[in-house]
Amino acid sequence: MNGAASVARYTLLELSRRRILAVFFSIGAGGILLIGVVLKLFSSSFTQGITFGPPGSAPPDPALLNRFLEVMFISDLTGALGFFALLVAFAIGMTAIYHDLESGAAVAIFSKPVSRLAFTIGKVAAALAAIVVIVGLLSIEATLVGLLFGGGLEQTLAVETIAQVGNALTLMLIVLALSTWMNNIVAAIVAFIYNAAAGIVIALHNQMVAGFLGDNETLKVGLNVLYWVVPHQLTSDAARELVKAEYDLFSSQNQGGGGDLSQAIAAVPGPSSATDILWWLFVIAVFASLVYYAVRRRQV
Amino acid sequence: MAAVVSVDALRKRYRRRDPWAVDGVTFALEPGQAFGLLGPNGSGKTSVVKMIAGLLRPNEGTISLFGSEPGNPAARADLGFSPEDPDFPKFLRAAEVLDYFASLLGLDDEERKRRIPETLAFAGLDKEKRQIRQFSKGMKQRLGIAQAILGRPKLLILDEPTADLDPLGRRDVRALIESLKNSGVAILLNSHLLSEVELVCDTVAILAKGKVLKEGTMAEVVPEGRTLEEVFVELVEASTPKRDQLPSFIKDGE
Repeated sequence: MNGAASVARYTLLELSRRRILAVFFSIGAGGILLIGVVLKLFSSSFTQGITFGPPGSAPPDPALLNRFLEVMFISDLTGALGFFALLVAFAIGMTAIYHDLESGAAVAIFSKPVSRLAFTIGKVAAALAAIVVIVGLLSIEATLVGLLFGGGLEQTLAVETIAQVGNALTLMLIVLALSTWMNNIVAAIVAFIYNAAAGIVIALHNQMVAGFLGDNETLKVGLNVLYWVVPHQLTSDAARELVKAEYDLFSSQNQGGGGDLSQAIAAVPGPSSATDILWWLFVIAVFASLVYYAVRRRQV
Repeated sequence: MAAVVSVDALRKRYRRRDPWAVDGVTFALEPGQAFGLLGPNGSGKTSVVKMIAGLLRPNEGTISLFGSEPGNPAARADLGFSPEDPDFPKFLRAAEVLDYFASLLGLDDEERKRRIPETLAFAGLDKEKRQIRQFSKGMKQRLGIAQAILGRPKLLILDEPTADLDPLGRRDVRALIESLKNSGVAILLNSHLLSEVELVCDTVAILAKGKVLKEGTMAEVVPEGRTLEEVFVELVEASTPKRDQLPSFIKDGE
């Protein structure tokens, strides 16, 4: 596996010199800072005297408001982090193997005593490391910005980051495998469509589980089958944390209570279950095998 | 003496409806032998060497590379391959490419430190700090030859090694081939430059449409009083339609 380490090392070096990844990282880092600063300015300048209860209610506890703003920040951020993780996954997936194959670099590499398996392992390891580093650095920045609001949600953000990296990894492996067979732009489009279709299936399945799609048995069976065909998006408890923080804020302002918290939380997708994580691992193993199969079959 | 590489009844086509790109090619190379594979464009020369390097799979026939199949990575440990129009990871520098390939060859740190600067100097790239994407075709060709000799191979395959080189570069490659040949390295040379092949090769095979038209020692293939080029043209023209018609707008002087 010496070959895999060499392939990984030099693929990472190449990725670190690609301008597109630096641009994505800079935009992501700037965006996080902007969201945090704007929210902080908003909280310190425009929330004086704001109330969330009936007219005449007392202003909310500043600690509670900060908590709410932090959760709001984390919530906005998780969306942004997910988006950037997918962009990075596309950028890496479209280039990590494809460029070697198309430029002819693979001709010189594959004539060396390195197996296609070692080459694939090296490429996937480098791609994974690049995503972890980029999204991880953005997440660290977000954690630091979150301290402006008092902190306390670091674990939620860390779990959300892992979930986003996991989802990005699934997509990246699809793009890597497809780009070994076809043009990398076509591969990215096919992977995008597949990812969107999988997202729709999961959203519909969540609606069905929450009881919003009625009792049609055929629909239930169909959605259940589809649900176990597509990769499951990994999720953290960030969305539920936001609901809890909103609930705390509104119930403190509205003495009549803010409704049933457990009912409100049940309507929001929760963190991935052990089954979902196992399914994700299985899907990753299948897609990684597909990448290897594509590389192994490829004649250069 | 055991053959370094032997190919037997090799056949290759890229798609089922395509004609055979390589059709029944058989030859063997021994240590210290320089073998020239000649043929017009599309005759199957590159397909043959790519199959030997484990980059393409033959449809029929067998290849033995140091006694193993070329698909076995260990069989390629003593192979140096300089491809036609070589290219490399474009964001790396020449020294990094050689270090990358040296690590794939399993060379230790000490050997790398010794071999890489010397190989870069031989290729005239020792002072080159730019990334590969900024290299000219000639520079890539020189790096292609450099990475091929880095592992001190027992079989060196050179696919059109001098196509993009200047006269000085060609002279260096000729000297390299002579030196390696004398030290027992087998050389497989694909080239259009027949005069070059005539200078360095002991045996040749002339291919057209994937088939070997003639094979043997230089003396067997080229009778006294004739040149390799004359023999080549005669054989190839006899196997393919003549292409001596100029476009009418050129011929008529419009």
